[in-house]
Amino acid sequence: MKASGDFHYRIGSRIGGWRPGAHAGLARGAGDDFVVHASLFERPDPRRVDLRASLRDPRGDWLVRVARQRSQVAVAAAVDVSASMNFGTPARKLDLAADFVAALGRASFAAGDPLSLCAFDRCCHDDLRTPPTRQPGLAELFASRLRSTPCRSSGHDGLIDALMPLAGRQALVFLVSDFHGYGSDLDAALDLLVRARVTPIVVWSPDEIEPPDQDGLLRLRDLESGRLRDLWLRPRLRSRWRAAVAERRRTLQARFLARGIRPFFLTAPFDGDALTRHFLEGE
Amino acid sequence: MSVDIDFLRPAMLALMPLAVLPLIARATEAGGYPDVGWLPADPLGRGIGLALRAMAALAIAALVIALAAPGRPRTVELRTGRGAEVLLLIDRSRSMDERMLPNDWRRLGPFEIRHQTRSRGRVKSQAARELLGEFVARRPDDRFAVSFFSASTLHVVPFTDHDEVVQAGIAAGGVHRGLSETDVGRALVSSLARFEKRAYTGSRIILLVSDGGARLDRDTQMAIRAGFERQRVTLYWIYLKGFGRPDLEQAGEASAAIPEVALHRFFQTLPTPYRAYQAESPEDLAAAVADVGREQNHPLDFEERIPRSDHSRRFVAAALLLVASLLVARRWELRGTS
Repeated sequence: MKASGDFHYRIGSRIGGWRPGAHAGLARGAGDDFVVHASLFERPDPRRVDLRASLRDPRGDWLVRVARQRSQVAVAAAVDVSASMNFGTPARKLDLAADFVAALGRASFAAGDPLSLCAFDRCCHDDLRTPPTRQPGLAELFASRLRSTPCRSSGHDGLIDALMPLAGRQALVFLVSDFHGYGSDLDAALDLLVRARVTPIVVWSPDEIEPPDQDGLLRLRDLESGRLRDLWLRPRLRSRWRAAVAERRRTLQARFLARGIRPFFLTAPFDGDALTRHFLEGE
Repeated sequence: MSVDIDFLRPAMLALMPLAVLPLIARATEAGGYPDVGWLPADPLGRGIGLALRAMAALAIAALVIALAAPGRPRTVELRTGRGAEVLLLIDRSRSMDERMLPNDWRRLGPFEIRHQTRSRGRVKSQAARELLGEFVARRPDDRFAVSFFSASTLHVVPFTDHDEVVQAGIAAGGVHRGLSETDVGRALVSSLARFEKRAYTGSRIILLVSDGGARLDRDTQMAIRAGFERQRVTLYWIYLKGFGRPDLEQAGEASAAIPEVALHRFFQTLPTPYRAYQAESPEDLAAAVADVGREQNHPLDFEERIPRSDHSRRFVAAALLLVASLLVARRWELRGTS
């Protein structure tokens, strides 16, 4: 079955904020989510009078049902466009990230949430940024611009700047990166997002995690630092390569789990259903 | 001797820093990878990669050295030999292509002998060349020069103690037939000039091998006499006397009209030692050559020029070998994944 390009996200906790939306919220208002009965005098809303409860009430007050409304949540994605995202054939990792961004645009439009997008490498890219918007085409436009981004500069120092507008806000934040070479700056970035629900999208190309099949001399150059590494590929080294990948995956997971965050590992092709499952399993 | 090395184009050595290129090159054909720190360390691959890079550097270095053309410089060595400086002055005229008397010529009757000398016996020039070749081979310490003359003089080999060169020069006299003229005077003058500006390091000999003489004019006679006196050269004339040719020792005033006799008499007036050998048969010729060999045997100092020897071919070969092995090594090189 072909992997679906669409996914649906959900947010685990209740959202503050008054704007109506698709997610369970904290604000009281029109909704199915019953909270408490209140006196008709306190909440003069005769449409929601609960006859059965009023009859049961010992004081004989007219009781009104009070419910929580469903709220919207701000959705944001920060995409790493550093040189290491240039890796992978025929689809670069950044192309994968663009697929994800396009799908996120469709998902947030379906949920009616405002979506803001930004890109970062050594600095935060002002030319690759959309303000919070519900406009359906902007995510697609952003994705197409990502696909044509050359990815030259290295580093990810712009991460903090990119996330600064979201600092302390309740939001659903996607961090799209390969998470190569992230140190304490990742912790600092996650500290900014204490109130947000963060979903790291770990983009790894299949070429990256799986060694080539043939034996021989493999000369590799680090896309960011330019360091060279020569490997004599043989079955033993291949198993060590896979072990190193598994180890990397474990440490990354453990690092996020310490903050109650579950990363999603994205490999080619983009599978929306898997991401939906990830959100459903997340509770 | 291999210690001192010089370069023909030392400026080319300025290209030597290019050899560092393979060691520092980063944007090589290596495939990109997001984070090499992630990959397992591989000492084997690292060693192989380093070796390949070092080979590439060595190949470039070898090419640069080859371009600079290293070699052992041209040197001059002082050598001491025994013997003389001998100039072999060989007649190349057509009469030298005639035959000498056969071994048994004394037993032949007067009627036979005229025909026999045409058909039997050895060619004069060939016999002379063979004997002179042996003479040179027997005297390894001497320095020889070889000249042929007919109308004018051909200086074939300058003074050298490399016998194979001398032998080759003597053998070169056998190429094709001789010319018609025999100008002994010009040959002697130009041969004497070859001793000019050379240090007198031992006895000097001109070994004239000829079958004919010539009347010399006064100017030539004076030039020859002065040359022999200044250069202190001993003259040996091996006269290859053919059948019916005049005897050098003929007496009488009238015989001075015979060119050979006239030449002999002129030689006898020279201030330096002179000896003539009349050789009618190959045996006589051999005896004359042996006689000369016995007489001259003195120690001799001379300078030997050793030509420059170039080593750049070896470096080109080394570079070729390195590049070839690098090409072979590419067979095991995987293409980068991106």
